[in-house]
Amino acid sequence: MAAPTSTSASSSSKRHSILPSVSQAGPKPPVQFSSSITIADSALLTGSHMIVVGSESVIHPRARLDSSGGRITIGRRCIVHERSIVGGNAATVTLSPSRGSKTSDMLLSPLPSSAGVTLADYVLVDVGAVIEAGDTVVGEGTTVGVGARVCAGAVVGKHCTLTPHTVVAAGDVVPDFTVIYSKGLRRRDLRGVPELRNKGQARQIEVLRRMIPSNPGKFSS
Amino acid sequence: MSRRPPRGEYIETDTGNKVARKATLVGTQNIILGGKTVIQPEVMIRGDLVRSVQSASAASSSGASANNTAVSIGRYCFLSRASCLRPSGRFYKGAFTYMPLRMGDHVFVGHGSVVQAASVGSHVHIGARVVVGELAIIKDYVRVLDDSIIPPNMVIPSFSIVAGQPARVIGEVPEGGHEAFELRDLYKTVGNNPHPVPT
Repeated sequence: MAAPTSTSASSSSKRHSILPSVSQAGPKPPVQFSSSITIADSALLTGSHMIVVGSESVIHPRARLDSSGGRITIGRRCIVHERSIVGGNAATVTLSPSRGSKTSDMLLSPLPSSAGVTLADYVLVDVGAVIEAGDTVVGEGTTVGVGARVCAGAVVGKHCTLTPHTVVAAGDVVPDFTVIYSKGLRRRDLRGVPELRNKGQARQIEVLRRMIPSNPGKFSS
Repeated sequence: MSRRPPRGEYIETDTGNKVARKATLVGTQNIILGGKTVIQPEVMIRGDLVRSVQSASAASSSGASANNTAVSIGRYCFLSRASCLRPSGRFYKGAFTYMPLRMGDHVFVGHGSVVQAASVGSHVHIGARVVVGELAIIKDYVRVLDDSIIPPNMVIPSFSIVAGQPARVIGEVPEGGHEAFELRDLYKTVGNNPHPVPT
């Protein structure tokens, strides 16, 4: 194969990225960032509720954090990949009775500020995943695969693995150490390596922090 | 495919690459396009996730741009709308690093697919909404059907047809099916002055 020529779309070799400008539509949310996070310049943060991002977390470009459905809390050492949506679709909040006493309040009152999305520590949200708002909780060390969808009110346990394009129904409770794969099948993850996975994620974060130019000042006003 | 795109939607380079203005290419100095490649709008290519082992020793990355390839694409490739190409990462000698994604010629990536493979061969047709897991290796003349999920580290041999979730080899490309993988005609139908779709 002949050596390919290196091309960037405009012939300037100094241009680093072709990023169509992201217009900051929607309200600018109040944010509370830890000092050590890495958030890309073209991440999209909208909504009216608070967005809290824990220490050493990484938000890739074009990730969307939408707090219009409630406050978003991201734990420590999480990675949110590009094109994923954390907190979207607040209009379709429907809760099953398994959520306990808050159910009737949710349906009647407008978006309560304590609801939203909570990601525990060491969560990995892969490309294009959607985590809807509405008291959704994703437990520690869980991997939400490419294009997976966690519907509103679902509670995902610790160290789970949602393989790509799986869907967790609204209000569903996923126990710890579960693997969801292939159109809804579930099995228990017997590998017993949660600490190793977390350590691996920490190392990945160290590398990502050097590679992604971070701009938290853009979002905190 | 017979719609007429508005004027100036694509940027055409000297080597014949057609890159849409609305495509998101991060880190373009680490992306190599072979020539006559089409990149449709809303495509996302992560060129900033480069191998980090060399950058620790080299102070500036401008001189070492040949070694810092993140994504390398061959000739006549076609990346459909909303697809995403990103290098895959692995632990190498105790450190986490990104391996470059190398694609061959005549590769068609369908609508909304996410390709995170280690390498993709030539004349590969990847359908829509496909997820190619990390460090997967796809050999030449492979057809991946729509909605397949290829698990990480899978190796797909040449001339196979792959489908399912998780993906399995379900068949083989028939003897006379090699011409179907050619993308030259598809390349001509896209762009600022598109030719009509061949019947």
